[in-house]
Amino acid sequence: MTLTPFGNSISSPNMITFDSVNKWYGSYHALADVSAEVARGEVVVVCGPSGSGKSTLIRTVNRLEEIQKGKIVFDGEDIHVPKLNLNQFRARVGFVFQSFNLFPHLSVLDNIIVAPVNVLGAKRAQARIHARELLERVGLAAKADAFPGQLSGGQQQRVAIARALAMNPPAMLFDEPTSALDPEMVGEVLQVMKSLARDGMTMICVTHEMGFAREVADRVWFMDHGRLIETGTPEDFFLRPQSERAQKFLSDLRSH
Amino acid sequence: MNSKLDFSVLLDPVYRHWIFDGIVTMLQLTAFAWLLAIVLGTLLALIRMTQNRWAERAVSVYVEYHRNVPMLVQIFIWYFGVPTLLSPAVQHWINAQRSEFLFAFIAVGMCMAAYMSEDLRSGIRSIPKSQLEASRALGLSYLQAFRLIILPQAVRIALPTLISHTVLLFKNTSLAMAIGVAELTYATREIESQSFRTIEIYIVATSIYLAISLLIMAAGAGLQHRYRIKAR
Amino acid sequence: MIDIINIVRDNWILLLIGQYPNGPLGGLAITLLLSVAGLALAFPVSILLAIARVSPLRWIRLPATVVVYVVRGVPLIMFIFWVYFFVPLLIGSTVSGFTTMLITLVIYQAAYLAEVIRAGIEGLPRGQSEAARALGMSYMQTIVNIILPQALYNMLPAMVSQFVSTIKETSLGYVISVNELTFAANQVNSTLLTKPFPVFMLLALIYFLLCFSLSQFAHFLERRISKKRAGVGAGNKKPAEPDVNLVIAQAVE
Repeated sequence: MTLTPFGNSISSPNMITFDSVNKWYGSYHALADVSAEVARGEVVVVCGPSGSGKSTLIRTVNRLEEIQKGKIVFDGEDIHVPKLNLNQFRARVGFVFQSFNLFPHLSVLDNIIVAPVNVLGAKRAQARIHARELLERVGLAAKADAFPGQLSGGQQQRVAIARALAMNPPAMLFDEPTSALDPEMVGEVLQVMKSLARDGMTMICVTHEMGFAREVADRVWFMDHGRLIETGTPEDFFLRPQSERAQKFLSDLRSH
Repeated sequence: MNSKLDFSVLLDPVYRHWIFDGIVTMLQLTAFAWLLAIVLGTLLALIRMTQNRWAERAVSVYVEYHRNVPMLVQIFIWYFGVPTLLSPAVQHWINAQRSEFLFAFIAVGMCMAAYMSEDLRSGIRSIPKSQLEASRALGLSYLQAFRLIILPQAVRIALPTLISHTVLLFKNTSLAMAIGVAELTYATREIESQSFRTIEIYIVATSIYLAISLLIMAAGAGLQHRYRIKAR
Repeated sequence: MIDIINIVRDNWILLLIGQYPNGPLGGLAITLLLSVAGLALAFPVSILLAIARVSPLRWIRLPATVVVYVVRGVPLIMFIFWVYFFVPLLIGSTVSGFTTMLITLVIYQAAYLAEVIRAGIEGLPRGQSEAARALGMSYMQTIVNIILPQALYNMLPAMVSQFVSTIKETSLGYVISVNELTFAANQVNSTLLTKPFPVFMLLALIYFLLCFSLSQFAHFLERRISKKRAGVGAGNKKPAEPDVNLVIAQAVE
């Protein structure tokens, strides 16, 4: 039995738990009574029409968005307790953005080590070694000294994934990681994500890449208008959608 | 220095008069200079749009001169320098008039016209070409497209800088005191030297300047809000 | 104009460096000294003021906002008079015109520079601070390591423009008899008396050459910076269409 940094034992099988999560933007109900769990090592794909709240949902996990009602538990800890050190907590949640958000004034290597050095207190030399290993893993070892502006979109996103991995998070969240990429670069990013999944990383991916869902996801969550409408295995979801809205979503995608 | 703040001294009729006249002169300077600046500025921006190379160059020289020479120096050139270029008869006439006021507002107005023409120009340039294309595709003439589609959007975009340049214009009128125009700062110095109530008169003058500047900014913000392009 | 050439020939030393070494430094030298020192001293203050202006803490943000609005709303010449009157009282001894002008410029430019830096900070894509925070970096770490370096770099052209403004503002030293370039030119004018136009045109020319070349440098910087910053980050692409048919076909295999 290992202890989490918060000092709790890993007794729960769930990595992330959403319990009746509600969020409003003014009067707009962005998330409505969302309850679900992500088990350790599980890969979940969240899909749904635009505006359904998918991105909002995963952004509540590292508190880039705040909720007004409900509870979120990450690795055994309620993430809204007042005594929570927000920065240390966020270091444990890997997050990959749709627009990569690499730091243009830092080299690729510096992008990856800036957080381990400043947040985790890692020594620069060691952080660099670890960073190069990660770059190797995402297939960009040669680009360590390049700057983000010199890389293609696919390469930038892979660096972003390495940057998130450098913090050794127990879970990774992906917010439409390939939506901003030209089609020919989507594959290289999905490949990295698939290898992460195979290595047992707990992942929630908001994505439109249904091929990815089919291959790697353990479960698919379908959201619409802020509600979690349906969950199921990829096979169940794509072949036998239960809800009317899921059926409409899939048929809309099919017909064009 | 005298111990306590005593604003009552300023209520003396002579001083009150000076302050009031100073404010009026300041506002008059601002008004005339602003009208000159906005009219001339728009003209310059339009001239620049004609794509004529010599027109471009001429306007460019005008703008660069007025933006790179200090306002005070420009006032000196107008007040001390320009009259000497005119015929003696005109010079006589000028000396008999309130020429300081005239040259002061001309100097400030012509300087700020350069800034405002640049504001409008960058506003116009920021409208994507596709807007013009769409207008022409609908059959609008160039002039119509410009008047109905381009200019309304350009002015909205240029509004924030135009407003901040209006405030700058207002503040620049204080430099007229250097050539003897009896606006607020001049009056302030006069009252200071006569009454020795330095802090009190400074506070009054500063507050007035601040109040009017904030008023201009607020009016500008209101204008921006009223004419904003509503988005979802 | 031949007049200008003669004036330059007779007075160039006075205009450039005043009566030095037979007297105090003056003319263009003082103008440059005031501008460089003013901006250099204002710079650190402006960074702090800019950070205060964007702070999420109200008790820091509000006073900073008030300071900036006051400086933006009051003419420079009034500031000069305030400092001229107040500083000797604070220090207890008389203060030279140069020092008065310097202090005024520092305060004035700190506020305007702070607005420039604030624009730089707010002009950065939100994703930058989000990414830094998502990695666990604190607010201050984010500002120091990620936001400020980029903001300052992006705003270099605007800061050069502020330097040009500072040079122009030194001309107001004339009003309190600071022996800078405009004052020196007025001295020349009062000795010559009959040639105000050439004298002041010469004055304008000197300022113009100085400020125009700096402005061109600012343009050059702007072009360089836009080129370097292009190509970073995702453009606004539409999300990729999911290939549902393929998935369903695969599921049926």
